[in-house]
This record gives sequence, C-alpha cells and structure tokens, in this order.
Amino acid sequence: MDIRLLDYQSTSAAGINLSNLRDSIDRQKSGLRPNDLAGSDINTWIGRVSAVDNIELGEWQSRNNALAKLGYEQGDIQANVEALKQQYRPSRLGIVMGSSTSSIDRTETAYQHLEDGALSRDYKQANVHNPHAPSLFVAHLSGITGPAVTINTACSSSAKVFATGARWLAAGLVDAVLVGGVDTLCLSVLHGFDSLQLVSENQCRPLDQARDGINLGEASGYSILVRGDDGHADTGVRLLGYGESSDAHHMSHPHPDGLGAKLAMQQALAMSSLRAEQIDYINLHGTSSRANDLIEGRLVASMYPSSTQVSSTKAWMGHTLGAAGITEALIAVDALKRGVIPGSMNLNELDHELCISVSADNMERDMSYVMSNSFGFGGNNCCLVFGSA
Amino acid sequence: MQKLVFNVLGIGAWGSGFRNWSDLQIRMTGGQVEDDGAKGPKPEVIPANERRRAPLPVRLAVEASSQACEHAGIAPSELACVFVSGLGDTQLTDYMCKVLAGENKALSPTKFHNSVHNAAAGYWTISTGCMQAANSVAGFGESVSLTLMEALIQAQAEQRALLLTFYDAPSSPILKPLLKNEHAFAVSIVIAPSNMTPPAPGNNDATELVASVVEQAVDWPSGEWSDDLAECYTTNPVARILPVLELVTGQREDLIMPLSSATALSFSRTKNT
Repeated sequence: MDIRLLDYQSTSAAGINLSNLRDSIDRQKSGLRPNDLAGSDINTWIGRVSAVDNIELGEWQSRNNALAKLGYEQGDIQANVEALKQQYRPSRLGIVMGSSTSSIDRTETAYQHLEDGALSRDYKQANVHNPHAPSLFVAHLSGITGPAVTINTACSSSAKVFATGARWLAAGLVDAVLVGGVDTLCLSVLHGFDSLQLVSENQCRPLDQARDGINLGEASGYSILVRGDDGHADTGVRLLGYGESSDAHHMSHPHPDGLGAKLAMQQALAMSSLRAEQIDYINLHGTSSRANDLIEGRLVASMYPSSTQVSSTKAWMGHTLGAAGITEALIAVDALKRGVIPGSMNLNELDHELCISVSADNMERDMSYVMSNSFGFGGNNCCLVFGSA
Repeated sequence: MQKLVFNVLGIGAWGSGFRNWSDLQIRMTGGQVEDDGAKGPKPEVIPANERRRAPLPVRLAVEASSQACEHAGIAPSELACVFVSGLGDTQLTDYMCKVLAGENKALSPTKFHNSVHNAAAGYWTISTGCMQAANSVAGFGESVSLTLMEALIQAQAEQRALLLTFYDAPSSPILKPLLKNEHAFAVSIVIAPSNMTPPAPGNNDATELVASVVEQAVDWPSGEWSDDLAECYTTNPVARILPVLELVTGQREDLIMPLSSATALSFSRTKNT
C-alpha cells in the first residue's frame, strides 16, 4: 500500500511550527532552558513551549490540550483537514493520537485545588481526566467524526500512530487519517524521571562520552496520511514501512543487546523492501541516558554501514516522551525533503564504545530513505521508514 | 471497506464475581458463582517478586490474558497483543497527584514506571518473553469498539493471531464522581482472521464472526444481566465487551456498537461451535 504524507507540522521548544523548527536546525539553536516549570524545583533543563501558557479552553482546559490546539493551528493542517472533510465526509476521516501524559497535568492541578477532599467545580472534566483525552479533544477541535483512537505506549506512542493510520487506510476504513502526538511537561514526568535518576542537570548530550541523562520537553505534531493512488497533491513523501516489537526485558531498562529494537528495525526494513545500507539517515531515539545511547549506538553500528548517517535531535527540544515519535519522524521526513541532516547537537566527544557515522554539525545530502527509532517504557519499540515517492 | 471475518480462539476473564470464562458465562445467564472473597487475581505467570509490585489493573489484564492463551492453546510469545483500559490506573494517578500536590514531591520510581498506560502490556510481554508488537490504547467510553476495530484491522493486514485484553479497575475516590467505575473487570480474547494461512490452531471449531464498519450513529446496546453485572456494564467502559461475548456463546445473532459520533461497528455470527 502506497501511504503518503499529505502534510505535516511540528510544535516544540525548537519552533512553534515547521518553519521555525527548520530555522532552529539551520542555526543549531536549542530550545532548552533551565527548568522553570511552575511548582518544580528540579535542577535540570527543559524544552518548554511558553506559547501554551495562556490558551483558554474552558471545559477542555489542560496544558496538553492547549499544546494539541496550538499545534493543530500551525501551517496548513487545519485547512487541509477542512478540505478533506469537504471532499469526503467528516465521518470518512480518522484520528490516531499518541500520548503518554494525556492530560495528567490537569489532574495534578485539580489535586492542588480540592475542596473538602473533592474535585472543585472547574476541574470536573471527565473528558479531560482520562487517557483518551487527546483524541477526544482533537475530534472536538477538528470536527472529524470518524473513528478516533489514542495510542499510549509511553515514548513510542506517536511513532505507532503511523502504523495504525497506514493500516486504517489500507483496510479502507477511512479516506484520510490525522495522526498526531502530544505530550506536555508536568510534575509527574519531571519528578518521575528524577526518581529514576535519569534527569541531567546539564543540557543533554546524546551519544557523548560525558552524557549524564535526559532533558524533558513537550511537543505536539501532526501529519495527514492518505493513499497514494487517491490523487492528492501530497508532499511526495511515503511511509514505506514500520516495525513494532517488545523487549520482553524490563519496565524501564532497555534490553542490554537491544534485541527488541533490532526486531523493530528489521521488520521496518523488510516491509520497505530495503537493505540496511540503503538507509541514508537514522534519527535515533538517542535520549542521552547512559544505557539507551550505548545500546542503540552499538546496535546501529552492527546493522548499518558507515554510509548511514545518524543523529539524535533531542538537544533541540528535549525528550518529548509521547510526542517524541512523531516529532522525530517528522524531523527525519523533513531532512529527506530538504536534503539537510540535522547534526547531533551538543555532541563533543562520541562515546568511546561507539563506532557510528555521526556529527554535531548539520550535513547537506541528497537522500532516498530515512528511518526514525522510538523506544518506550515497558520495552515498547517502533521504527519507521520513509522515502521519496 | 471489506468485511473482517475472524475466529474467536480463546477467552479469559477475571472480575467482581467471576474468576474465569466459565464463571462469567454463568453470570451472564443469570446464575451465581460462589464468592471466594479475592480482591484481585494473582497471575502465576508474573514472577512472585514482580507480582507483589504489580498494580491491580496489570494483574487483572495479565490473568485474563493468560487464561485466554491457554484456552486458545497458543503460546503467549507467539501472539501480538492489544491492551485497552478506558480509565487508566486511577489509583496510581491518585498516588502521584497527591504526592505532587504536597511539599515533598519525591515519587516512588516503581510506582512511576508502573503508571504508564502500557504497564499491563509491559508486564505481560516481560513475563511471557513475548517480543511481538504490543499495543496499548485508550478509547474512554468507546474503548471496546475502537480496540476491536483496531485489532481486527491489524490481524487482517498482518495475517496473524492477536491477543486483545480489556481491563479496568475500580476508580480512586477523588476521581470516582467523574469516572464512576466500582467494579474490577477484565476479559481477554484471542482472535485470528478466518482466511489466515496456515490457519491458526483451533480455527476450525471456533466461533466465526463477521465485523464491518458502517456510517451510522448508534447507542450502546442494552443487555439483560442481573445485579452488579448490569451495573458494571453501565459504569466500567470495558464491560461493554459483554454483548460481544454473547455473540460468541450464541445468545445474540448480531450486534452493533458505536465507534464514534457518526460510525459504528457491526457484528454477525456465521457459524456455531
């Protein structure tokens, strides 16, 4: 099945939209800042999108929904959805959102404003305090009335939305799918990752010998998937394959040999009918944790030749968790479109145990095939391959 | 879209007032099952030290999943899986939000990693050595229909058998006015596309169902269950699997359930066991 990206947009600390993100990439300008999230005193850096601070949503209020709305309003996503609703019917469009936090930011705030131990009036929001909130809200926002599902597999969530969206289109369930991801900074993730001793006091340095942990960020991103033979004026980028696997190892530690990650990459290559050496660029999961980068880096070195360039782009916006899958898939897609490979920002000295083609600097290169890796808690892996149509 | 023709190869169940699929069948037809007083299952597939730390929703999901695989006669490691909880782990949400509303915001690392929505899929794949695709989805009130549709499409596209697990535990007190569920309920089913080659084990004598998606606004079907099973059906989002189970047992011939405000998932039976 020929699955095309009709459009895509990304919102993060590195840029409120795709155009700003390109600018940040070209100038190697990080969106990370010292932690200033209200109520958190953890000494770390975060990728905060300050433009969501003052968005009012009434009964839908949550930081996560505000970021979902801000992202949906960027570029032509909204206009394209409206046009597709006209061309087909709102019920022939689907929504697949990926998220890890959902709107737990709002539940945290609700607990700070309890009255006699009960939720106070403004926080009695059943449609917000549940894990499906991102899709419920995007359905409300977009007027799409076809099926809408939320995928919550931690940090692989919004990579897997591409797999589900592609299957829906191939089955003829819908004529277009709005896939997306949204996750917001909140106390749960900052203090949760701090409890696991995974948070760095410095700007993250993926793949670097001296890396000492992750920075958290927030993001939303969308793409509209359509069938290639339906004649849309699409971006010319195809989703060629996906791989989904499990580590079967540990809830919060990756498999020591990256076996699950390897399976996901092998499946994605097989589905794309590509050999490893045909992949021009891999956007790594590359969290900047000691374990992930070593395991992923070794695995990539064992599977790909030196002609495959890799990088982690997490130093631009932090690890955006449930939104990382789509944020980084779209960075890889945009690299393919523009012929610019983003560098692995903040890389000073490559981990001594790694032998991979990576550079801190951006690189211009004409490419045919790009890959994006996303690995989540619970040992949940997803790998995506995109190519020019 | 094409119709999705599939077989139900195995079923597992654990909830308030039932401990397995045969208990639940008795309850669904108005019978009573002796209450053993257990507050939650202790799935043997999870190693003992991990089991002690596993939250109730995880244990519900893993127990039902184990039973369904055993019933189907398929090793868990061979099945891709889709897990769904409509409400999430509200006890852990409650724990985290209470801690984070206080002065000392230090969270338990185990409770934090258990708080991800895919904790059940994680414990399941880790405990059974399953390296297949594992999905964890949410659909709030439409959790059952959306998960069935998603899994049936995946099974058809990838020509593979799949484990589907529906589970929700009672809501924490502060969120209960919004998320009203009082009942533990978990059901797992193992499905395979009817046209799969080679056929999945047990395919020939399994119940065959046909699913299709229609553009139609419908309400959830009403059911005639007794007492707390009827209450569970109205408050626990995943108990909405009950009408599907009635199709399997032959108590219903067809069924239609909402997917979204303008679409619905319809089912019919094509042959009996």
